[in-house]
Amino acid sequence: MITQLEVGGIPTVLGPTTGPMHAGLVFRVGFADEPLAKRGITHLVEHLALHSFGVADYHYNGATSVEYTFFHTRGAEADIVKFLNGVCAALNDLPMHRLTTEKEILRTEENGRSEGPTEALALWRHGARDYGVVTYPEWGLSGITPDDLRAWVGRYFTRQNAALWIAGPAVPAGLQLTLPTGRRMPAPAQSSALPVRPAYFSGPSNVVAWDAVVRREARAAVFSGVLERALFRSLRQESGLSYTVHAGYEPRGDGSAVISAFADALPEKQGAVLGGFVDVLASARLGLIDQAEVTTVVNQRTEELTHAEENGSRLPGQAFNLLAGRPVQSLDEALAELRAVTRDDVAAVAASAFADGLLMTPGLTSADWAGYTAAPNSSDVVVQGTTYPSLEDPALALIAGESGVSVVGDGSAATVWFDQCAAVLAWPDGARRFVGHDGIQVSFEPTLFMNGHALIPALDARVRPELRTPMPPRDAARIPIPRPKPPQEHQPAPAAPETESGGTAGAVLGLVVLSPILLFFGLIGVVMLISAVADSEDTGSEVILGLSFLFVAVACGFGVGKAIRKLRNR
Amino acid sequence: MLPAMSQPTDVVLDSAAAYPEINALRAALARRDWPACRTLLDSAGSMERTGLIRAVCEDEGLEGFLRAVLAADPADGAASALLGTHLIDVGWKIRTGARAQYVSREQFAAFHDWLRKAEQVLIDGAAYNPKDPAVWTARITSARGLQLGLAESRRRYDRLTAADPYHLPGQLQLLQMLCPKWDGSWEQVHEFARDAVGAAPAGGPHGVLIAEAHIEHVFDADNRAEMMGYLANEQVRAEIYQAAQRSIWHPGFGRGYGWIEALSSFALLFMLLDDQRAAAATFTAMGNLATRHPWDYLADDVVTQIQQARTWALGGKR
Repeated sequence: MITQLEVGGIPTVLGPTTGPMHAGLVFRVGFADEPLAKRGITHLVEHLALHSFGVADYHYNGATSVEYTFFHTRGAEADIVKFLNGVCAALNDLPMHRLTTEKEILRTEENGRSEGPTEALALWRHGARDYGVVTYPEWGLSGITPDDLRAWVGRYFTRQNAALWIAGPAVPAGLQLTLPTGRRMPAPAQSSALPVRPAYFSGPSNVVAWDAVVRREARAAVFSGVLERALFRSLRQESGLSYTVHAGYEPRGDGSAVISAFADALPEKQGAVLGGFVDVLASARLGLIDQAEVTTVVNQRTEELTHAEENGSRLPGQAFNLLAGRPVQSLDEALAELRAVTRDDVAAVAASAFADGLLMTPGLTSADWAGYTAAPNSSDVVVQGTTYPSLEDPALALIAGESGVSVVGDGSAATVWFDQCAAVLAWPDGARRFVGHDGIQVSFEPTLFMNGHALIPALDARVRPELRTPMPPRDAARIPIPRPKPPQEHQPAPAAPETESGGTAGAVLGLVVLSPILLFFGLIGVVMLISAVADSEDTGSEVILGLSFLFVAVACGFGVGKAIRKLRNR
Repeated sequence: MLPAMSQPTDVVLDSAAAYPEINALRAALARRDWPACRTLLDSAGSMERTGLIRAVCEDEGLEGFLRAVLAADPADGAASALLGTHLIDVGWKIRTGARAQYVSREQFAAFHDWLRKAEQVLIDGAAYNPKDPAVWTARITSARGLQLGLAESRRRYDRLTAADPYHLPGQLQLLQMLCPKWDGSWEQVHEFARDAVGAAPAGGPHGVLIAEAHIEHVFDADNRAEMMGYLANEQVRAEIYQAAQRSIWHPGFGRGYGWIEALSSFALLFMLLDDQRAAAATFTAMGNLATRHPWDYLADDVVTQIQQARTWALGGKR
């Protein structure tokens, strides 16, 4: 039985547990709230708030997620009180002397982080804002100042924007959650980078993934369970094409929920996994859902909920509900909603999910044949302005205008409009990368254009200062030197300067990083997660200068070679 | 007196002459009588049903009619299969059967548009009717045209065999896909043909798979010498005769689905093998009936080709 109360003005849910006491303080702020130029700021606050507990001998943790940031611990009452009071004290006075060190720790953490197989979907669905920001590296770290942090805490880590859960018999004595005063911050509105749905884009060759945004309700959760069973039966049991098959349901604060699913594939079976996946989704769209499947999923979920109630693990979700302005749901209410779900309800969710679907096809495959529209990966329009031809490749050019920048070449274009710009990454050597709201990027390497350095102040002046995202200095070896294309074989081109590292890997790395153009790179992280291969730079030796438009999803450099090759072969 | 001695002069390529039910289905379609079409299709054997669907898929004006049938009953598998097969056929006529290098960009674009339309009908058809062999046969064909890859073609074929283990119309489609001109290799073609023929009951038309595998292989040769070299291989010859023993020369070989196609393919092979006796027996069994394929591999004027071969086989000069 969950009861609601207030602790220090913070709405609280209290419920029993079978284990030791567990408590958490949650704030309605997460990655989705971060402007791209400040990407990483919430995570940084979380780290700074926890710094003072570095060597505590009890179990505590902090987590930053898409919409929520929470601090939680399990143990004796006194430890819980000490931890939560301490977190609040730290939030009121962040240990700014730790800033440089914590930034380094976060960079290291990010390097070791692997992306989930469905993560790239958010980039393609939402672009470089709100729910799409989640997929980007913590680019904001370098430029985040103590003032930025104080402002962020003042806006989001407030009493009015917090909730507390306690799994235990009662509120522990001595809990003084002193937090600044603010206001409740609703979850951000969801941007869309998909003009048409159902849509598809191609990702790594070893996974098929899909997602859809639907209304948040029990029948949608049941549908995700039914979908997982259907995918498992088709792709694993019947055809033996996939090993890992998963579908999930994730509610969002605005009353929607994301249903996502993926299946892994051997590269040589990718077409078949896609085909089987498409067929399962089609059956769902047509409402070909078995009552027995619905019953099975409802029963499983009933069991999970009942168990979760017993050990207190429904409480965090109910605390999130409080912050989202949703009523706390008792177990009986949750079970009643679940048991009321009919086969037709699930079929209705399936149809609307299909209509909203975004499919990530494996490798070089497409899904236009199955009725999915290609998600945009380049720009239809080029800015009016001055053209700066590349010193390396006459077919490539940067166009800089009053309203935006474009890169053109190879018959396609990437354009970022200054008034629809999510961030401009700025390196001390003058390199710039403009990231549009739609996720399209334009990179500018001043060394690769005639008088390129003279253009920088003009570009900088046209972008709102808060979008400027300072980046750490690059190694000299990473700053490109123009290497014109050899005009004719009888007139040998000047030898390409050796990079410091030398050798093939070095040269390729140079190419990738020096490329004046922008990378469109979908789901490289997935490639790595699944294949556990992290050396794609080394394997990218076929990367050719020339193409151009990359739509960068993930960290620069990592796996770019693979992505370029993939694009070029489309 | 053997009927062959009458030396038929006409070559009849209309498949309705070999399979009279086709006329009844054509007539029912012409009067847009779907219940009658269904009665005919539902009473046919599995392979015959797919054969009937393929035989009438060229009829014009089918799309509007069948879309209306499907609007009334989206789960009508026969209508899905026929509409899908029809749309594939329209697309393939635009593409033509030429090798890819002789097909224009515009032709390919239109071809793929029609195949995508077909595929979307067939996706739903397969969802509603996962055990309909005609739907899966059409989907093996569309997968080939849409270049969805060998793995997906195999998946579709596996779904077909789950519905009907020896479904020759679909096997012939997969055999095409396995050819090097599409996505496979000669090893895959011959292995598939041998396995499929070995698994299917003797006396059926399935031996044609081995005949077709060799026909595809021999016509892939660059010149006549290479063709002759291929056919001179003892193993090739032996395999062809074994396949004939298991099908067209088997005492159980009847006049069910695929009989004329099997005879027509073996007749061509026997001619290429210069086996006049075997060719004569085969042409005799065919009477004046024949099929366009595989004689169109020799020349566009299929009737002349067949007449000449038959004349030679039955004792005249080639």
